[in-house]
Amino acid sequence: MMPAKTMGVKIKMTIDGKEYECEPNQTVLDVAGANGIPIPTLCFNPLFASHRSGSCRMCLVEVVAGGRPGLQPSCTLPVSSGLSVSTVSKQVYRARRLAVEFLVSEHTQKCRDCPASGGCTLAKFCRDYDINGVPVCSECPNQRESCLLKRGVLCMGPITYANCNAYCTRKGYRCEGCHSTLVNEDVLRFGLAAYRDAGFRAEDILEGAEVFAHDKVSILEAVMKREGML
Amino acid sequence: MGKIHIDVEHLTRVEGHGNIVLNANSGKVENVQWQVPEAPRFFESFVRGRPWNELAHITSRICGICSIGHTLTSLKATEAAMGIETSEQTQLLRRLAIHGENTQSHILHVGYLIAPDLFRVGSVLPLIGTHPDAVLKVVKLHRLANEFSDLLCGRTTHPVSMAPGGFTWIPSEKDLRNMKMRWAEAVEVTNDVAEIVLANAGGLPSFSRETEYISLTSDDEYALYDGMIGSTDTGKHPVEGYLKITNEFVVPQSTAKYCKHARDSYMVGALARFNLNSRHLSPLAKHWAGKFHLKPINYNPFMNSVAQLVEFVHSVEDSIAIIDKLLAKGIDRRERPKVKPKAGRGVGAVDVPRGILFHDYTYDEKGICRKANCIIPTNQNHNNIQKDFEAFAPTLLDKPGKEIELNLEMLVRAYDPCISCSTHYLKVKLVH
Repeated sequence: MMPAKTMGVKIKMTIDGKEYECEPNQTVLDVAGANGIPIPTLCFNPLFASHRSGSCRMCLVEVVAGGRPGLQPSCTLPVSSGLSVSTVSKQVYRARRLAVEFLVSEHTQKCRDCPASGGCTLAKFCRDYDINGVPVCSECPNQRESCLLKRGVLCMGPITYANCNAYCTRKGYRCEGCHSTLVNEDVLRFGLAAYRDAGFRAEDILEGAEVFAHDKVSILEAVMKREGML
Repeated sequence: MGKIHIDVEHLTRVEGHGNIVLNANSGKVENVQWQVPEAPRFFESFVRGRPWNELAHITSRICGICSIGHTLTSLKATEAAMGIETSEQTQLLRRLAIHGENTQSHILHVGYLIAPDLFRVGSVLPLIGTHPDAVLKVVKLHRLANEFSDLLCGRTTHPVSMAPGGFTWIPSEKDLRNMKMRWAEAVEVTNDVAEIVLANAGGLPSFSRETEYISLTSDDEYALYDGMIGSTDTGKHPVEGYLKITNEFVVPQSTAKYCKHARDSYMVGALARFNLNSRHLSPLAKHWAGKFHLKPINYNPFMNSVAQLVEFVHSVEDSIAIIDKLLAKGIDRRERPKVKPKAGRGVGAVDVPRGILFHDYTYDEKGICRKANCIIPTNQNHNNIQKDFEAFAPTLLDKPGKEIELNLEMLVRAYDPCISCSTHYLKVKLVH
């Protein structure tokens, strides 16, 4: 926090080439939020605004001028006169994408058992940064008893990678798997278990997987063999 | 009078590719042709071997504008083949869906594609500068129609929530009540748009040629979703005998087949529906038909655009009435289709924005499609466009070349053709 004597004095900083007036005790994230510039956050919660750990790395911005150049978390970066940052540079995109990839690799991804499914923030980040990491179930609101698999419908959701906000399953239609299959073996294994629990046979799954590209079907078949399903 | 040669390749502001060719010498038309150079689509071939619950999703892709119409026709054909009954709620929601598409398609055609002709400009873009209010009103109606379709079908185009036997997702009462309110507010905007078209309707050429009109017809409603095949010449026919109506044949200048029934050609579309069913229109739609002096039977193909506008008004009013009916009954959002596939053949017919559409499927006992035939409205109109050309072109020859071209283009556009959809099932013979 800045000393109280500087309060009330306005300073100017630049975000994405546009100048904004701000209070000296604000951070870049505050200024962006106040001016409607989207910066993704995960560990920052506006209800506990004073707590900023800067640990999830989702809010990274690139300092272009007026500070130490390079990537910095905007939630802990205090504004200073003449500071200029970019929220949309290639560097920022790559760094944020990498951050999501790390988060996803650590995540259990048992989306079908998760209460967040249908409104999962991590799934949204995967969508925004085009990451083949989580299944359509992470975006699908039909949980537990309302799951299409429970109704005997061969939905490809559990083994298809999410990027569509579960457009079809939200409206009760089965996922046809148009995004092709997941490449993460742990997630695939979890999806295959879902089919086994719902009473689907290996032939059914492979018939549904007709839409996947040939190399993706090979991955699926390999995992199924290792699981003893084929 | 010297030689006139007009060759429009390809016509703009229509869906797909079509060419107009006119050759005239010293006041006589030597050759006038409506050509369709689109490649065949093979949809009927690639639904073969697919299961019953995929067909509607595949055939929906025949057209990006009439996707709801194709889906409904496909579902009706599947339901007819397997003897599946649908609930009253499903039928009402489907009627709403066809109204959604009708409003979507008609406002697009009248507002973006026909209006530039009335104001004698090249496209809708210059109109944004000269008539911003009118264009914004059209955009507003188009958006509302899109959102309406989205609410009912799960997507603005290519429905996801419709399945044989019913819906996999049903909108809530709150959403429907909200939509009804928005349509009620839009009636005023609709009136404004109709007023603007009326003020400029003088730009529509007066030309008429007697022909046959075919559409669905019903005793108790303005038939769009259900009914029998009706003809202005020969009365009512069962939907199952559609092949006796369409009588497709092949001509050298077109990759799309031509159709004829009692006369040389027949027309389908909004004007055909108006000519057959105008007594069932909603009060406001009747009012607007009167203002445009549109009375059955009207033989002027240019009035098809006016008939579309009248139908738009009808769809708005009828949608409000149907939503009222649904709300009075109460909506069961948990209703889900139950289907047991079985062997059989079924024909579905729905009057989609461009006219009557037929799907005909044969299934085996596992519910796998073995044979399919789809006859698309524009396909049925091609012959009538050609015959109209033959009658219309000689009356134009004393005009300057540009004017002749524009008039012929306007004639094709009046049919609201969806040309790429109309090329289907071409038998290819390989000669070695």
